[in-house]
Amino acid sequence: MMSRRQGLLLIAPLLLVLAGFFLVPVLMLLPTSFGVYEPGTGLIKGAWSLKNYSQIVSDDYYREVIWRTLGLGFSVTLICLLLSYPLAYLIARGPERWRVPLILLVIFPMLLNLVVRSFGWIALLANRGLINNLLMQLGVIGAPVKLLFNFVGLFIGLTHIYLPFMVLMLVAAIRNVPRDVESAAATLGSSRAHVFMAVTLPLSAPGILAGSILVFVLTISALVTPRMLGGPTYQVMATLIYDWPSGSALSFALTFMAVAIIWLSSRLTKRWAGMA
Amino acid sequence: MGSLTFEGLGKSYGEVEVVRDVSLTIAEGEFVSLLGPSGCGKTTILRMVAGLVEPSRGRILIGRDDVTTLPPNKRGLGLVFQSYALFPHMTVFENVAFGLRRRKVAGAELDKRVKEALGMVRLGTFGERYPRQLSGGQQQRVAIARALAPHPRVLLFDEPLSNLDAQLRDEMQIELKRLQRNLGITTLFVTHDQGEALSMSDRVGVMAKGVMQQFAAPEDIYHRPATGFVASFIGKPNRLSGSVAMREGAGGRLAVGGVAIPAARIDQPAGAKVDIVIRQEAVAIRSGIPRPGEVAGEVVLRSFSGARVQYVVRLAEGVEIVAETASHGPEAALAIGAPVGLAIDPAAVFAMPPEGAKP
Repeated sequence: MMSRRQGLLLIAPLLLVLAGFFLVPVLMLLPTSFGVYEPGTGLIKGAWSLKNYSQIVSDDYYREVIWRTLGLGFSVTLICLLLSYPLAYLIARGPERWRVPLILLVIFPMLLNLVVRSFGWIALLANRGLINNLLMQLGVIGAPVKLLFNFVGLFIGLTHIYLPFMVLMLVAAIRNVPRDVESAAATLGSSRAHVFMAVTLPLSAPGILAGSILVFVLTISALVTPRMLGGPTYQVMATLIYDWPSGSALSFALTFMAVAIIWLSSRLTKRWAGMA
Repeated sequence: MGSLTFEGLGKSYGEVEVVRDVSLTIAEGEFVSLLGPSGCGKTTILRMVAGLVEPSRGRILIGRDDVTTLPPNKRGLGLVFQSYALFPHMTVFENVAFGLRRRKVAGAELDKRVKEALGMVRLGTFGERYPRQLSGGQQQRVAIARALAPHPRVLLFDEPLSNLDAQLRDEMQIELKRLQRNLGITTLFVTHDQGEALSMSDRVGVMAKGVMQQFAAPEDIYHRPATGFVASFIGKPNRLSGSVAMREGAGGRLAVGGVAIPAARIDQPAGAKVDIVIRQEAVAIRSGIPRPGEVAGEVVLRSFSGARVQYVVRLAEGVEIVAETASHGPEAALAIGAPVGLAIDPAAVFAMPPEGAKP
């Protein structure tokens, strides 16, 4: 048996890296988040206030951006999950020879730079973009539909960018569900639909959870895509960060919300899938 | 309840024929084992019965119902897997209740039947546990209770004991056999373990390369193997090659090197090259100068395995043969190099066409 000490020693290098490169920098932001920023002059020495935090909860604009960010996170996660599960199921349980081509197809967009992909969406979604022009020429709509610099634009762009993460997580999870257990349910009288609902879905819960957390966290902290597809006016929390003190406070608020939601969702999932 | 019938059952994957034209009937309440090395097609047959694999040819009947094209959930069977295949996210109670709920059993009746099934496998108090909190043997018993609870017409076992350690396996063999006897459920049991098949079954089907070699009572399988494969697969065989020296009635004498071995049954003509199987347990060893009818040899290796002692004995011209004796018997402590006589039971000597030749 390995002693506790040996175990600690073995994980020490990783702990040091995590502490040194993640925890310490984040904690270093803590004093900054109480600082006072004067436009034009910069950080005022010696002054401190709770304003950076109080404005997050009291300021209407901040509140709207926070709700918008969370709403975006939830909707992108949900649509990614709904779109990915059938595809992941096909990859995991479909014909063997389709597996590699399909996975390559899923990964393919990730080979392109994020900025390039976001530009691609601007070209597609703009008022004079491909989609609006096509719809107008077909006579479906009279005037351009606003698809950019609003919720729709961000929703489409972020879903496209984070979908592969969800698919890959789900493929691994579904492949982990033992075929024998599904067969056992079938011989006990379950129809194919019931096998899926009673066995496959709950047993792939760890993957659903992991994929959802990943996509949610990536979405609410995304910067480049919201900056480009949201323009200067449609802001999310990440794009709102522009000076050190209020930026630090916002970062803390974002981290806190992410951790709280991850904790809550993993508890709920575990209860649902009977892993608690 | 019901009998189980295969009519010309076959399965091919592309060009590969994994099950070839199997026809047999398992009577109601009978315990039948399919025995064979891995890849012989026995598991494929079981999965075809369960509806998990679609037959390429032939029919499967339960009682008088043709179930060949029915989906697994409509067949009313119980299947116990080698991997147990319990639902890890459900308690033991819910695992056993699964099949009953599918049959719309609920309330007090459900409770009663789950308890009854758990009682049969002596796990009455384990209902609230999760599978991961049980040992392998307990998990296997839950799997059996789960298969039994809905009162299936036929019970199927896919190597259910091979993940258990030897002692537990012996216990479970007896327990399973008793359970099956008491309930009188038609049972198909797939295994690669001949001891398991011979000791538990009313009849055994021995399979090789997708073909049913022999389907008969365990005693017949052991004492009267129908094919060379069965002879060499059952028991602990010595495998030698030689030729037919002389025919006499149904049997005659075989020659291995310069050693003559009598055999009760030989199908090949005199002079034919043959592979020879001699059961280790049918070779009696006696120290000293061989008597008439015995084969002379010399001990080169002794190995003790508890109840039995095995000797590797070198005969004339370097031919080696393994003989067994009881470890508390008079010949249990022979020295290396000791001269011995071997008495070979002619009924336990089987001659077959050489490996690679067409049967």
